[in-house]
Amino acid sequence: MVGRAQTHRLEKGGLIDRSAPLGFRFDGKTFAGFQGDTLASALIANGVKLVGRSFKYHRPRGILTAGSEEPNALVELRNGARREPNTKATTAELYDGLEAASQNRWPSLRHDMMAVNQLFAPIFVAGFYYKTFMWPAKFWEAIYEPAIRRAAGLGRASGVADPDHYDKAWAHCDVLIAGSGPAGLAAALAAGRSGARVILCEEDFVVGGRPLADGGTIDGMPAAEWISRTLSELAALPDVRIMTRTTLFGVYDGGTHGAIERVNDHLPSPPEHQVRQRLWRIVAKRSIVAAGAIERPIVFAGNDTPGVMMASAVRSYVERYAATPARRIALFTNNEDGWRTVETALGAGLQIAAVVDARPDVSPAHRALAAKAGFPIMNGSVGGVDGGKHGVRKITVSLTGGARAEVEADGLAVSGGWNPAVGLTSYHRGRPKWQNDIAAFVPDSAPPGMVAAGAANGAFSLGACLRQGFAAGAAAAQDTGRSGKAGTAPAADDEAFSLTPLWHVAGKGKAFVDYQHDVTASDIELAQREGFESVEHLKRYTTLGMATDQGKTSNVAGLAIMAAVSGKSIPETGTTIYRPPYVPVAIGAFAGHHRDENFHATRLTPSHHWASEQGAVFVDTGLWKRAQWYPRPGEKDWLESVTREVKAVRGGVGFCDVSTLGKIDVHGPDAGAFLDRVYINTFSNLAVGKARYGLMLREDGIVYDDGTTSRLAEDHYFLTTTTAKAGLVMQHLEFCRQVLFPELDVQLTSVSDQWAQFSIAGPKTRDLLREIVDPAEDLSNEGFPFMGAREVTLRGGIKGRLFRISFSGEMAFEISVPARYGDALARNLMLAGKPLGVTPYGTEALGVMRIEKGHVAGPELNGTTTAADLGLGKMMSTKKDYIGRVMAGREALVAPDRQVVVGIKPVDKTSRLRSGAHIIPKGRTPGPDTDQGYVTSVCFSPVLDQWIGLGLVERGRERIGEIVHTHDPLRGEDYDVELCSPVFYDPDGGRQRG
Amino acid sequence: MAEFSWVSRSPLEQGLVTGVHGARGIKAGVLLTEIRNFDLIQVMARRGKGVQMASAAEARFGVAAPDVPKAIQTADASLIWSGPDQYFVLSKGSKHTMDTLTRALSQSASLSDQSHARALIGVSGTKARAMLAKLSSIDLHPQALPIGTAAATSIDHTSVNLWRGNDRPDGQAVFNLLVFATFAESLWHTMLDAAAEYGVDIRHSEEFA
Amino acid sequence: MRIVCPFCGERELGEFTYLGDAKPVRPAASASEDEVFDYVYLRDNVAGQMSEYWYHGGGCRAWLKVTRNTLTHEISAVEPAAGVGARKVGA
Repeated sequence: MVGRAQTHRLEKGGLIDRSAPLGFRFDGKTFAGFQGDTLASALIANGVKLVGRSFKYHRPRGILTAGSEEPNALVELRNGARREPNTKATTAELYDGLEAASQNRWPSLRHDMMAVNQLFAPIFVAGFYYKTFMWPAKFWEAIYEPAIRRAAGLGRASGVADPDHYDKAWAHCDVLIAGSGPAGLAAALAAGRSGARVILCEEDFVVGGRPLADGGTIDGMPAAEWISRTLSELAALPDVRIMTRTTLFGVYDGGTHGAIERVNDHLPSPPEHQVRQRLWRIVAKRSIVAAGAIERPIVFAGNDTPGVMMASAVRSYVERYAATPARRIALFTNNEDGWRTVETALGAGLQIAAVVDARPDVSPAHRALAAKAGFPIMNGSVGGVDGGKHGVRKITVSLTGGARAEVEADGLAVSGGWNPAVGLTSYHRGRPKWQNDIAAFVPDSAPPGMVAAGAANGAFSLGACLRQGFAAGAAAAQDTGRSGKAGTAPAADDEAFSLTPLWHVAGKGKAFVDYQHDVTASDIELAQREGFESVEHLKRYTTLGMATDQGKTSNVAGLAIMAAVSGKSIPETGTTIYRPPYVPVAIGAFAGHHRDENFHATRLTPSHHWASEQGAVFVDTGLWKRAQWYPRPGEKDWLESVTREVKAVRGGVGFCDVSTLGKIDVHGPDAGAFLDRVYINTFSNLAVGKARYGLMLREDGIVYDDGTTSRLAEDHYFLTTTTAKAGLVMQHLEFCRQVLFPELDVQLTSVSDQWAQFSIAGPKTRDLLREIVDPAEDLSNEGFPFMGAREVTLRGGIKGRLFRISFSGEMAFEISVPARYGDALARNLMLAGKPLGVTPYGTEALGVMRIEKGHVAGPELNGTTTAADLGLGKMMSTKKDYIGRVMAGREALVAPDRQVVVGIKPVDKTSRLRSGAHIIPKGRTPGPDTDQGYVTSVCFSPVLDQWIGLGLVERGRERIGEIVHTHDPLRGEDYDVELCSPVFYDPDGGRQRG
Repeated sequence: MAEFSWVSRSPLEQGLVTGVHGARGIKAGVLLTEIRNFDLIQVMARRGKGVQMASAAEARFGVAAPDVPKAIQTADASLIWSGPDQYFVLSKGSKHTMDTLTRALSQSASLSDQSHARALIGVSGTKARAMLAKLSSIDLHPQALPIGTAAATSIDHTSVNLWRGNDRPDGQAVFNLLVFATFAESLWHTMLDAAAEYGVDIRHSEEFA
Repeated sequence: MRIVCPFCGERELGEFTYLGDAKPVRPAASASEDEVFDYVYLRDNVAGQMSEYWYHGGGCRAWLKVTRNTLTHEISAVEPAAGVGARKVGA
């Protein structure tokens, strides 16, 4: 890309690399800059003043600051999927080929149709939305909202998925430092020399802070040299880590801090395998906020005209970037620090149009300088600015005493003083305190382990910053037990800081407090008149400080104006609550790795890859991927596949991986007694070698979980849980063991992942198993009766376990082998079962068979049902105490009109039953009064050749045979169904015992 | 009658592809090695039998079982703390299996075979710590995690046992991870994503060193 | 938030699961319905120091009794549940 000449670039100086020219585009025009530029500095170097339109009035706006506090210069950066709105030009690093576009304008920045809003400015006052779009109500959706949505919005989102990657990482240290200015570097030196593990986060891509622009002398050398020496020393220390492009945005409980590292934002796109941004959680024993201070504007008419810029930003652009925001510049200051700008401007060969100083006295040195350089010093304030989208042309000065003066200038530097960055120290609801000499809020308290140092603590001289930072670093290291020698603190002079508070210059024309949300001084006055005087009300009524910059340049001025109009002091007026994040953080960074297929960790069964080879369709079941069915060529839909699988099992033999069930080893002499307390039925009397179905309640009497538990040895039970509750049941049992029944000698271990467990079901199950297990194992009804459970030897010598349990209602076993043999087990079953027509089946067929058999599962164990509701009331032992026993006996839980599990089949055999349909008495109008329950589980039953289901129906068991009505408003279906026994298949259980 | 082979298949058999992955043109910063053949037995003391368990362990292994988060190397096993009054016995070559350890320890402890319930992954290389910092919330600095330190912790909301083994001959730290088998492939991909920017050299070994 | 597990040391919140008030004690088997009702449902909503059960499920699986200030999240004490590990309780 070839750019035009950089008309506002100084011949020499600055921290830019002139050997590395970069081309970029802004609003379609091509420009050039250098490595080391920000987008803002490059635009300034090219003489661009107008960079955006404001949010509400679409006023032309320029660059106000040189940092992350910028409210105006927000652009859409990049194109296509990477387009990112509201990117601050002041922090966006320039790269070759950068493309940016201005926001809030149509069709173009210079000719913005929406600028017509300015004509309607009188109605766009505080509370505008609340007042205007009140009525008629039907206008809201049709007219108001679409219009507001078109007009509003800070830039446009790309609308497509973010193509970049983000990740998250943890870091740990003794001392965490925010900011690499003199205070931060001095703190790092002291802590690092003491032997502490130090992390220093710097938002900028260059270390050094204000001295990068303002220079100074430290330890007798130029600040730049001191910074460079300090970085060398820190680099030599083993545990000091300096993270640039990293903003510390929040502090959380226990010394956990949030930071966002813009790893590759300075490149067009991240290099392969690299992330765009990384979210850090930094755990620090101590933290030092050396985040500096933010220069604040003065509110006066026209203070948003392009070319009006913070004085410190002017110095940053000139000194650091060798870019001149103006050729003839005026300064408006109420403090000593603003005068630095004069030296900078003169040094760069700029003309000083005038210095407007609000303080009554200006030092003789300044007067001498003015005389020498030939510019006037005016005691007074700036009352107005002429110039629109082309930038500042003329400044009107109200002189003390009442006279007015006009000054021709193409730029105006403003300094209203400095606000310490009190965000981090205030994030735990800390309220900063007012400090009179600097007329600013400073930290009063801080989260545990955190202190502020330097300008962030209200210390504005270079000497004080170094001393405070060094002392804080040394103390923090000491606190964390690091006792190395910190040496002596770096030293510098304490330059004077004198300030006469000036917040608002009254006058005609719009005077902006919050640039980004277009909140003016008169909006604040109006809010006060209308009773929104509390700062929290003021904020929400006017939207002061609620934009993406969170009022970094505006909040204190807003409070000061409110204080003035309400006749209170600023500290009496107070501050709003500070909340993280300090800068906007992309949602993608918070998500990190966890998006798309990595949204959560997934679990695979031992036969997963085998099932995948078979073409299985998988379903997400919690974290698991489970084989849902195994389609075969020619099958037209899932139902055909599932029906085939069911028929194959019922007519022959099939198998299904059920390893997802939770499996827990319960060991110890009191294992039986323990299970008696957690299950409603008794397990202490279960014989070794036998399994039993068990049901657990919650302490409130509602069913919690179910499963079969086997006794493998006198002191060893093998407990299974449902897939869904596996982790929770483990946690519950540990609570029972450690908290409720600590006297019992019992040990619990999850063995869910140790065993691959398959259900083998169907009349030919034994034929198949005989091919798999050692011929010496007796699988007959006598040798292995229903509900038997024991270890067996398999052909080939490995050990496994067999459980004669049935979920399908068929003759069935569950077989388990150590998990790494699970894949082999599937293959061996297929091999051995080939002559038998063995069929693998998935969770759908499993579900069909359990519904046909009337077994309850998740839809019935739904957190509202009792054991009796499920038809399992008889299992509730009356001979022992168990969890949930007493509460299960409550009147409402044993009421005769409860909804209980019942079978349901449509009267018209061709009707398709659907889960969720409501049950109402025949002939009644559907409604809350007539609702008697709902359908919980449905399937197409190959055995009955019709849809069947289970439901929870009021007094259902007493009403077997009754025809009721099914109402499904969601799908618009109404049909009659018959209530029937939930056991549709083999009600006497002969098949599973056979 | 069909003849069966019981091929033991690691939970990482599919996911693990040996070779160098991720960033190219640099020396791989992370070395990931899966160890596929091991015996892993969980030992938990019975109530009030902590002392007996310790002496039974000492009799069996010649060293005291860890009672704080440490991994202790014996002549032929690692004893890895996994919680209060419990530890893993990690060994190879069927020296310490359920059968043998049950005889030695069951008077004072309950034992569970976990040999197939976990995958064992070694992480080393110049960027091992940087890569693990994306996954693990614990402090992996050598001062906080000296050789022989163990931790029962989580990665990606999934329980893992992590311990620092002996440094490699080149001085690089070695972090060992036992992860649940059914989560292993998913965590493996997460680890690869974390390591990709540093370049990652992937291997597997039937035996651990 | 970070909790110092008595067995594992300081760990981040994500490794722990919150249960709630640790004060209620499960009534004996002979207790009345009212007593059990109170145990199951009645909880103080304390603004200040509270004793709570937390489960170190992402670590050593110990149940912990954590004394936490619900206003500041400051944790002043962490102790293991009575039956953690192999601890002998009662007769």
